[in-house]
Amino acid sequence: MSNSQIIVGLEIGTSKVCVVVGEVNDNQVANIIGLGQSKSRGVRKGEIVDSSVVEEDVRNAIVEAEHMADVEIQSVFLGVTGSHMRGFNNTGVHPVVSADREINDADIQDVIKNAKAVNLPSDHSVVHVIRQHFSVDGQDGILNPEGMLGAKMEVDVHVVSGRYNRLQNPIRLVSGLHLQVENIAFNGLASSLATLSTEQKELGTLVIDLGAGTTDYAIYSGGVIKHTGVLAVGGDHVSNDLAYGLKVPLGRAEQLKVDNGSAVIDPESKNRMLDLSTDNIVPGKKVNLNHLQMIMSLRLREIFELIANDIDQAGLINYLRAGVVLCGGGARTPHITKLARDIFKLPAAIGRSSTVSGIKNALDEPEFSTSIGLIKFGAFQSQAIPKREGLGRAIRKQFVSLFGGRK
Amino acid sequence: MKNPDNPDNPVIRFIGIGGTGVNLVEKLAMIGLQGVESHSVDTDNRSLSNCHQSKTLLLGKAIPCGLGAGGDVALARAAVESDRDHLLRLVSCADLVFVIAGMGGGTGTEAASFVARLAKEAGALVVGVAATPFNCEGSRRGNKAAGGIRDLKQSADIVFHFSNEEVMHITGTEISLNNALEIANRHLCESVLGLSRMLIEPGLLNVSFSDLRDSMTGRHSLGSTLCVEGVGENLAADAMGKILSHPSARMGKALSEATTLLVHLSGGDNLSLAEINTFVESISSHAPDIDLVIGASGTGSNNVLQVILIIVQKSNSKASLIQTNLSKNLTENETLDLNYPENFISSGENSYIGLGAESKGANRVRFAYTPPAPTVETITPEMKDNLLEAAAKQEPNRKKRKEIKQEMLPLEIISKGRFEKIEPTIHKGEDLDQPTYIRRGRMLN
Repeated sequence: MSNSQIIVGLEIGTSKVCVVVGEVNDNQVANIIGLGQSKSRGVRKGEIVDSSVVEEDVRNAIVEAEHMADVEIQSVFLGVTGSHMRGFNNTGVHPVVSADREINDADIQDVIKNAKAVNLPSDHSVVHVIRQHFSVDGQDGILNPEGMLGAKMEVDVHVVSGRYNRLQNPIRLVSGLHLQVENIAFNGLASSLATLSTEQKELGTLVIDLGAGTTDYAIYSGGVIKHTGVLAVGGDHVSNDLAYGLKVPLGRAEQLKVDNGSAVIDPESKNRMLDLSTDNIVPGKKVNLNHLQMIMSLRLREIFELIANDIDQAGLINYLRAGVVLCGGGARTPHITKLARDIFKLPAAIGRSSTVSGIKNALDEPEFSTSIGLIKFGAFQSQAIPKREGLGRAIRKQFVSLFGGRK
Repeated sequence: MKNPDNPDNPVIRFIGIGGTGVNLVEKLAMIGLQGVESHSVDTDNRSLSNCHQSKTLLLGKAIPCGLGAGGDVALARAAVESDRDHLLRLVSCADLVFVIAGMGGGTGTEAASFVARLAKEAGALVVGVAATPFNCEGSRRGNKAAGGIRDLKQSADIVFHFSNEEVMHITGTEISLNNALEIANRHLCESVLGLSRMLIEPGLLNVSFSDLRDSMTGRHSLGSTLCVEGVGENLAADAMGKILSHPSARMGKALSEATTLLVHLSGGDNLSLAEINTFVESISSHAPDIDLVIGASGTGSNNVLQVILIIVQKSNSKASLIQTNLSKNLTENETLDLNYPENFISSGENSYIGLGAESKGANRVRFAYTPPAPTVETITPEMKDNLLEAAAKQEPNRKKRKEIKQEMLPLEIISKGRFEKIEPTIHKGEDLDQPTYIRRGRMLN
């Protein structure tokens, strides 16, 4: 155990709070050893609306995961999302000033720092700066320029930013539970880390995390992140539409969605009635299955269309040669891949967290992809930090740099 | 068709059309050639009021009211068509009609071809004389001029084309505008007068009206005419040099493109055969394999060799075929290509009118032959309806009528349920929290 490192991913989702405990060995291979979850009650559209309830839910999930993994959780990697988050690309430029014109690590840090200096709204802060490609003296597509000769170095980065205060809410909540937040990660990025293979990232893939409160998506192409986005519409909206349209309580609507839902309208559902007479909440009620599927299909179709429009605007639709990968709870909807194929005109599949090993049934569930991705994210982060520096200091440094020393 | 002055001579009429045409005819009339009638025709009363030597005819008393067409081709057409009878009287009983017009404006561009057609129908040999504008007057005017020449060429037997731009090429750009126009006008007047004089004045070896008619009738081609005087020791060489530097000869290019040359030489009593021979040899070297008609007279002054040269260029072979074989059914395309001057679409340096290279592509379409508008009397009620319908279809600014769709009022207040109290998700002005099926207007029934 002394050679391995425990990494915990925490996702405070709209429908559930999920904690995944991973063990990362010396070879940086993550292995899932624990899982804890609880129903989330105080989150809407990915953001906390009731701190005290969420605090309780998080504590429950942590305790469950601790029991299962038989570890004491001290720090977590926290997943964040919300409609306030933005993803965009930026370029940083840095002149190589050393006498021999050799690019060293300091130059690379400088150019990334320049790329980070983006014109953000004053209440926004940077969550991720993901380097895409370097270019040295106009030569594009350089992955690692260290040791190369050049006079001018540029770097393309993908920047994910969000509102500082709204990002702080979950961090403060977790800190209040005497848990250390090692780093935060955008949920869409985390899901893609869990589900995509190197080959898929290289070929170009769209990952859509169909959460309950938000739909997060990320596009990989050429091995790097090209685009990210959040749509504050999710499974909750489907349930809400059903509750409204079928005139049933929200809880019952959610149950109907899980039991009878479909992403496409089944022609055989015409005039088929679902008998809810045995139900003790809505006795004697009958629901038209066709209506149910139509309401659901229209909502899911709209979500995909909005994403497709955004990708189209970013001019990336032709880069997605490996198709679409769906994850999150919404990916469980029957025929959802068919709908995605229809709208994106690309092959679509349900994502599996195949990039880590461990508890099999956790990996197979699309709901856990974000939490598992957070472990992968944590493994990358800790890999980047030399151990001798001391974990605490390293984390603090990371954290301070993350928020530009605003704390 | 007898010339009242001399029954042996052909009846020649100069008809100047439009501002430029009137101006030129007035100049020609001022020189005053015996047995030639000059008429000035315009829509503008002001330009006609300056005419003292020529007979005037105001076109379109009712439509532009003597105020000129102002570059409006449609207005000019209306005016000229309303005065058809007057014009017919003007061109009847003539052997040779010169239709002289400046191209690029309204009246000259539009009325010249109309008058030429009337004259042709009246049985005259019709020579169009067209002056085209400088390039700097704008491509629109240039294009219009090219279209005018094309129309004129379809009606007239031959069109002598005098390009102001060519004059500028010869004289250089240093020259003042006044002088340039003066030179251009002088060239034109000399040429037209020379040609007329050649037909009227008796000679030793005559180039007669019949020669002219044979070489020109039904050609519908472009041509040039020029009149130069060789002086000095070597009369023939001097005259030849002047021909080559003449704007109408376009550096001798017009000679090499010619099919027929009519040459009339006039000198003094001592005009030697050797000189004639030298001149003919030198002109033949520039234009080999050509139909050459030579005339000579010795009634001029000594030590001056006056040369009148008429160059008839190749006409469109397809067009001449059509002209000779009228019974042949024409396809629409052939009609559109009718008499399209090769020069107009040739490369820039060859371009006769000096059209801008960028406008070349559009020419073919723009100058497609449009049949003359039917006169008011000939329009039947059905035709009128059809025309109105066509006009309505063509009107580009008419917006498609927006379909008015009756929208349904939301009779029930849509509850946002779970999302009632939190930040709404607004995407492009649409509240995504509301059920999609309601926003898309799908009914549950």
